[in-house]
Amino acid sequence: MTRVITYAEAINEALGAEMSRDPRVILFGENVSSSWRPATKGLKETFGRERVRDAPITETAFIGAGVGAAIAGLRPVVELMLVDFGLVAMDQILNQMAKTTYMTGGQVNVPMVLRCVYGAAGGQAATHSETLTALYAHMPGVKVAVPSNPYDAKGLLVTAIRDPNPVAFFEHTLLYSMEAEVLEDSYTVPFGVANLVREGADVTVVATGRMVGEAAMAADVLRGEVSVEVLDPRTLVPLDEEAILRSLARTGRLGAVDEDYERCGFTAEVAAIAAEKGFHSLVAPVARVANPNVPIPFNRNLERHVLPDKDGIIRAVKAVMKP
Amino acid sequence: MLMSSGIPDERLLDLYRVMVRIRAFENGVKQLMREGRCGRVSLSVGGEAVAAGVTAHLTPHDQIGSTHRPLGHLVAKGADLNRVMAEIMAKATGTNRGKGGPYHIFDKSVGALGANGVVGGSVPMCAGYALADQLRGDGSIVVSYYGEGASNQGGVQETLNLAACWRLPVVFVCENSSPEVQRMLGHEIDYPQLSIDDVGSRGAAYGIPGVTHPGWDVETVYAAAGEAVKRAREGGGPSLLEFKIYRLDGDTDDGYCPVRLLRERLTGRGVLSEELDAKIWDAEAARVREAIEYAEGSPEPPLIDAYTGVYVGEHR
Repeated sequence: MTRVITYAEAINEALGAEMSRDPRVILFGENVSSSWRPATKGLKETFGRERVRDAPITETAFIGAGVGAAIAGLRPVVELMLVDFGLVAMDQILNQMAKTTYMTGGQVNVPMVLRCVYGAAGGQAATHSETLTALYAHMPGVKVAVPSNPYDAKGLLVTAIRDPNPVAFFEHTLLYSMEAEVLEDSYTVPFGVANLVREGADVTVVATGRMVGEAAMAADVLRGEVSVEVLDPRTLVPLDEEAILRSLARTGRLGAVDEDYERCGFTAEVAAIAAEKGFHSLVAPVARVANPNVPIPFNRNLERHVLPDKDGIIRAVKAVMKP
Repeated sequence: MLMSSGIPDERLLDLYRVMVRIRAFENGVKQLMREGRCGRVSLSVGGEAVAAGVTAHLTPHDQIGSTHRPLGHLVAKGADLNRVMAEIMAKATGTNRGKGGPYHIFDKSVGALGANGVVGGSVPMCAGYALADQLRGDGSIVVSYYGEGASNQGGVQETLNLAACWRLPVVFVCENSSPEVQRMLGHEIDYPQLSIDDVGSRGAAYGIPGVTHPGWDVETVYAAAGEAVKRAREGGGPSLLEFKIYRLDGDTDDGYCPVRLLRERLTGRGVLSEELDAKIWDAEAARVREAIEYAEGSPEPPLIDAYTGVYVGEHR
C-alpha cells in the first residue's frame, strides 16, 4: 500500500525499518536525536540512545568511528549535517572509509552509510551549499547514491544500509519537503539501475538529484517542440552506463545535468562515456549544465545565476537540437 | 578614580560604549531578520563583554579569527559597520562584495580575518597569522575566537599544540555558551559534547596557561585578556582563555546580560548617569540606522560578479 509522504519521512522510514530488522544498524551524527530533524525524528525514542546518538561537532572523530564500527561488525549510518562539513574529515572519508577494504586485501570491509545532506538552498554561501558528489564518486571504493524523489530515497537507503561497502548517500536539503507516493512496506531500489523519468525520442538528458525534477520540467515545457528523454541514474557509482548508451543510440543527442561543479564533475563523466562508447551515436556535441566552476555566492541573485535550472536545461536542449 | 578591578572609569566607559555598539548593531540586524530584509544571521548577544574586553587590548595591526557568530568580534575590532551591514544584506558594497555573507565576513583593513562558516575553521589559520606576526617581529598578535563545540575539533586541538610548540603570539578565546546544560546548535543533546566542565583546563594538555572565567563580567574578561595578550606580545607564547557566556535574546534583561551588568555597576558608582547612558545608546543606534540606510541604498552586485574573483589575476 502506498501513501503520500515527504522525502525526509521516506528516509526516516528506511532508517526505522532497517534498525528494526537488523540490530547492528546504529545511527549517529550531529543533533540526530533532536525532534527538529525530520529525517531522524523519533528514532531515538524508538530505538534508544545506545543506537541513536548525538556526536560532538567533530567530523573526523565520528566519521572515523563509523568506519571503525563498520569494520568491527556493526552497520553504522553516519549523518553529515551538511556535506561541506565532511571536508573537515577527508582523511577518514577518502582514505580510511574508501580504501581500507582494498588495502587490507579484503580481510575487512566497511558496511557503512554516510548520509550527506547537500545542495544550495538559498543564501547559505559557499560552505553550506555544495554538492560534491563528484569528489566521492572519484574515490575508488565508495558507492554514491543520489535519490531524486521520496520513493527512491527510501528504497535506495535500504539498499545502501544492506550493502557491504561504504555508501555516500546524498540527500538534497530542498528535496526534504518533496511529497510523493511511497510504499508503506520496506523495499529496495537496486544500485546501478537508471530510472526512466520521461520517455523521448530527440535528446537524452541525464540528470541527478534535485536536477532530475528540473530536467523533467524542462522536458514538459518542450513537449511538442522537442521530445526529451530524461534519465536519472540514481547512483553515480555504480553507474548504469548501458541505460545512458541505449538511450543515446536512439536519440543521438545528449545533455548532462547536475548541481555540482562542472569541471571534472559527473557531467564530464557522462560526456566521456558518450565520447568513448557512444561516439557513433552522437549527431551533435554533448551539452553540460552544471555549476560553472564558481563557489556558491551568498547573494541570492548570484546564487540563482550559477545554479543549473529548468531554463538552463531548455537552452542546452535547444542548442543540441540545432541542425 | 579607580574601581576595585583597577580599571579606570574612562576605560570602563569605553568598554561600555563598545558593548552598546555591538548590542545596538545586533538589535538592528535582528529587526531586519524579523522583517525579512536579510537572511538568517547568527547573533552573539550575551558575548559583548568578551568581544569588548579582549579587543580593548588589541591594536589595529593585530588580527582576529572568528566564528559563525562574528558580529561582536567584528564590531569591537572596528570593522566598517556600513560595509558589514551591506554584506549581511548581500550588497555589492559589502565587505565581501555580497559573496560571503555573515558567516564569512572579512574586513582586512582592521585585521578581522575573519568570520568562518565551518565550526573551528578559522583556528588553524590563526596560527598562520601569528606565525607571520612572529617572523615580522613587529609585536602584533592574534586572537582566535571559537566556541565550546569547536574546541573539540581536531584542527583546533592540533592548532593549540602547534602554537605551543612554535610559541606563537596567539590568544585562544573559547566562548563556552553551554555553561550548565550542554547544548549543540542551541538544542539539547543526548550525550555531552565535552568530557570536561571547563575547556580552559585543556591548556595544561598543551603546556600553556588555560583559565576559565565568567564571560558576562567585562572587568574579569579585561583583566584576563590583558595578561594573555601581554604574554603573547612579549614572546611568551599562546594562552587559552575560556569565558562562560549565555546566549541571550536581545530583548531580555537577563541576569547574565553583560551590558546590563556593566550599566548597573557604572550607574551604581555614579560614573554613568541616565542622561549619559541615553546619549550613548542614541549615538550607537544612529550609527546602526546609518549602516542600514547605507546597505539598503547600495546596489545588488551585477550578475557578472558571480564569475569574478575565483582566482586572482588573469585566468582562463
